[in-house]
Amino acid sequence: MTTSNEAQELKDRLSLIETMIAEGRRTTTSWGWIFVFWGVAYYVAIGWTAYNQWPFAWLVTMLGAWLLCGAIIWSKKKSQPQRRPCTTIGRAISSIWFAMGVSMVLIFPALGFSGHFNWHIFVAIVAAMLGLVNGASGMLLRWKAQIATAYVWWAATVAACFGSDNQCNLVFVVAIFFCQIVFGVYGMVIEARERRLEATHA
Amino acid sequence: MPELPELNPVVHGKLRLALLSLLAGVEEAEFTWLRQKTGATDGNLGAQLLKLEEAGYVSVKKRFVQRKPQTLYRMTNDGRQALTEYVQALKQLLGGAI
Repeated sequence: MTTSNEAQELKDRLSLIETMIAEGRRTTTSWGWIFVFWGVAYYVAIGWTAYNQWPFAWLVTMLGAWLLCGAIIWSKKKSQPQRRPCTTIGRAISSIWFAMGVSMVLIFPALGFSGHFNWHIFVAIVAAMLGLVNGASGMLLRWKAQIATAYVWWAATVAACFGSDNQCNLVFVVAIFFCQIVFGVYGMVIEARERRLEATHA
Repeated sequence: MPELPELNPVVHGKLRLALLSLLAGVEEAEFTWLRQKTGATDGNLGAQLLKLEEAGYVSVKKRFVQRKPQTLYRMTNDGRQALTEYVQALKQLLGGAI
């Protein structure tokens, strides 16, 4: 049987463990801008294709966006005074996104060069893949807002299989707006709040 | 009445407990990150990490990144086991208090 002082000290120890585990898992990595960046990249590719129907507009825009995004991430990492430790969840999420990127880079040029490319199939596959990665990330993080974006992408997947090309375009543009631009800006607001909190605690 | 468990003295130290808990949530962490999170001094932090290393609860890796030395700490399986047992013992000691 412990005295009340000893019991309090033991409770403090338990509380310390919980606080420190949560602190270790807390990440303030900037990712909101990546959603906005890719949302804008999709809009550029859609606009470019609509403007002059160049068949390689998507390929060139996506490759350019990959390079630019990689360069920004690299320069951000380089400018950080200290490396943030990697968590298992963080590595799982980044692996899912990386694997999705590789899948897209392989499937769409292959469809294009083989002559099997179809706009409805393209939108449906992009939306399904983005639904998958957002759904998986949201479930890993237990984050309802991201799971909601997955539902929007999955709805877009189904909608893209029906209707005219213009309706398909509209579905894609709307899904990008909500799931990339709005969600990305929301993420940036949360990050800014976390950075302010971190600065206050430092 | 069942015998109350002993608390592992290596884990029980406040800073060592904080370090093990921090390392439980990440794959590996730099010395500077641990210092920032715990607010400990370099000397105290180094000493406590050495005790954890000697107990086999953390492993250390030193490397150079852009010609700057970097010390990385990682929790071992023994460390994870020790922390788990410590938490179980704590809960058992507290009994109905929590």
